[in-house]
Amino acid sequence: MRFRISAGALVVVAMMWLTAKTTADQQTGGASAAKPAATTTAKPAAAAPAKPGAKPYRAPRTPDGQPDLGGFWSNATYTPLERAQNINKEYYTEEEFKKVVADARNRDEEQTTPGTTADVHYDFTQFGLDKSQHTIAQNLRTSQIVDPPDGRLPPQVPAAAARAQAAAAERKQQGGQYDKVQNMPTGSRCIIMGGAGPPLRDAGYNSTYHIVQGQGAVMVLTEMIHDARIIPLDNRPAPAAGLKQWVGMSRGRWEGDTLVVETTNFNGRNPIGGGRGGAPSSDQAKVTERFTRISDDQIEYKFTVEDPQTWTRPWTAVNYLQKTNGPIFEFACHESNIGVSGILGGARADEKRAAEAKSGSK
Amino acid sequence: MTRRTALIAAVVGIALLGVGSVAWAHHAFAAEFDVNKPVKFEGKLVKWDMVNPHSWFHMDIKGERWMIEGGSPNQLIRQGVTKNTIKIGTTLIVEGYLAKDGTMKAVGRNFILADGSRLFLGGSAPGQQLK
Amino acid sequence: MTRKWIVGGAILLAALLLISTSVPGQTGYKAPRTADGKPNFNGIWQAMTTAHWDVEAHPAAPGPMWELGAQFAVQGGLGIVEGGAIPYKPEALAKKKENFANRTKLDPEVKCYLPGVPRAMYMPYPFQIVQSPKHIMIVHEYAGAVRTVYMDNHTDAPADSWMGWSNGKWEGETLVVDTKGYLDTTWFDRAGNHHSDALHTIERFTARSADTMNYEVTIEDPNVFTRTWKMSFPLYRHVQPNAQLTEYRCVEFSEEMLYGHLKKKASE
Repeated sequence: MRFRISAGALVVVAMMWLTAKTTADQQTGGASAAKPAATTTAKPAAAAPAKPGAKPYRAPRTPDGQPDLGGFWSNATYTPLERAQNINKEYYTEEEFKKVVADARNRDEEQTTPGTTADVHYDFTQFGLDKSQHTIAQNLRTSQIVDPPDGRLPPQVPAAAARAQAAAAERKQQGGQYDKVQNMPTGSRCIIMGGAGPPLRDAGYNSTYHIVQGQGAVMVLTEMIHDARIIPLDNRPAPAAGLKQWVGMSRGRWEGDTLVVETTNFNGRNPIGGGRGGAPSSDQAKVTERFTRISDDQIEYKFTVEDPQTWTRPWTAVNYLQKTNGPIFEFACHESNIGVSGILGGARADEKRAAEAKSGSK
Repeated sequence: MTRRTALIAAVVGIALLGVGSVAWAHHAFAAEFDVNKPVKFEGKLVKWDMVNPHSWFHMDIKGERWMIEGGSPNQLIRQGVTKNTIKIGTTLIVEGYLAKDGTMKAVGRNFILADGSRLFLGGSAPGQQLK
Repeated sequence: MTRKWIVGGAILLAALLLISTSVPGQTGYKAPRTADGKPNFNGIWQAMTTAHWDVEAHPAAPGPMWELGAQFAVQGGLGIVEGGAIPYKPEALAKKKENFANRTKLDPEVKCYLPGVPRAMYMPYPFQIVQSPKHIMIVHEYAGAVRTVYMDNHTDAPADSWMGWSNGKWEGETLVVDTKGYLDTTWFDRAGNHHSDALHTIERFTARSADTMNYEVTIEDPNVFTRTWKMSFPLYRHVQPNAQLTEYRCVEFSEEMLYGHLKKKASE
């Protein structure tokens, strides 16, 4: 018996076969926009003196087998970079640290007096931007610096002071801070924020990061000014010396479960601060970051700064990236940076008023 | 009347942390807005521009259009605030300081709703309730 | 009798060929997979068109600064708009012409503002895709612009932004990115082509070979256009060893034109 299958029927069958090959992934249902509030829950501080015999944490893996560092993280911290002069131990007790936090909270909640300069600002607490409303990197350290062991920055080389003096003289040549936009801080100009580093530093508020691991590269996105640093993991050679960047150029590799990132080629214009009275870092700095997931909620973030043009020896600090919730909403800074026009315009208005008062005075 | 700020905390905190390039030059606000020209406005919200580095409340105040500077919306967004949270036409009372450059702008030291409660967050310190 | 079968077979073959190329995403090429089984789009990509000058077909023309002569003039192009012309409403076309007439003052690109979508995808700068199961990041060299594509937990835009709020999903070989929540502040090109905050884009990325992709974007904006329309062009992988994005932090380059008039005068 012969079948007379119409061309049309065969076309239909063929179409069904072809579209069946196109597997559409199940799309998760759209949830409501509201997410639960980020809380600074009073968790037991994760970073404390190690308990003997504790089983080491093993980070979950990404699909391609790397330790999973992905997600949203906060490095907001109450731990100062340098140990205070009257403290000589590595860790607070839990009681002591509660007081550190409480004192900071009280400072956050201090009230400014109307008619004072300090009062000329929106209220941080109203927008959730004071530190006590952030996800805090939980730890009991008395300083971020762990080496030198006294928890303080090492001494500086003479070249550092000379460089700082030259920079100050140059700044003076350029005039007052509001004479032109180029004299204003790079953060106010929306060029870069200190939190981007590297090293990643507590930005004061919105100190949030998004880490995304792809094949052969890791992206670390700093919230403010959407600073995305993409770190290649493919053992490529060191970058050519001629290309200097605000965030330098990074090269990454895994050492066991630790992501090690070495960054050089800084242009020196977003330096690491020199602490009390010290000069900031130079364009010869080399920063080595070590990211290690130490719990479901924390990445230990250890960084070493080597800058023979600034410090007599390398120094190392530890902070923590604490799991937090997203999103990181687009921090388009320059686009709505009305403040610059307002500040420059205000300075010009003040000068005009002063000039008129002078010429109009009897 | 006293108010909160984290300005002092930010300056102190940042000094302690030794952060080199500070997130925001807070003293710049006093360069932009006039400490000698405090204002208290009541008006209706036309639009809340949820932008960075600072958000802007566009308000109709006695028939004039003003822009009032507020904080970054990013932390509020993480807590579920969206562009639909404050309705257009909401009455807002704003205490702040006028811009120095003569434009119709001010910084909002406090944003208060018609019922006396604070917009968004904060206000748990004693004496904070502003009526 | 056999002739009917030959004709039928020919029709079927033609139909199958038509289907295989007209079903969205079916280029016939199957990209290598990531560890989680998705087409692997990690890498550095860039368009090779002159759409950044004008997405519609246009001839070469003098540039904005005569001092730069032939170094910086407008390159001609065949255009990337499917069907040729952007279907503007009459008042929107008038606005485009006004934009064009004032483009050196009005173009957000001159100010180093974030370029928006789809402009960022065909500007003459590379971008890098960093792909994970939950988030696909598209990081642009130009102004360090960043797009976050949420691959799960799709939500609405909490607020409007320059680069929009993107929800993505896989349809076989194709990454489909649905974006809303745009501000109206970006342009499509240097010719003043524009949109409103009702803009809604749907992009489709499909590998066509190891080092090329097909890119297609559907534009919907009922405030500005009489219908939806599409743009499409290939994307090319940067294949040189050790390719990477370099900084194009352009804020400094725009400060003179934005704030120069507010400088303190030298005489004081």
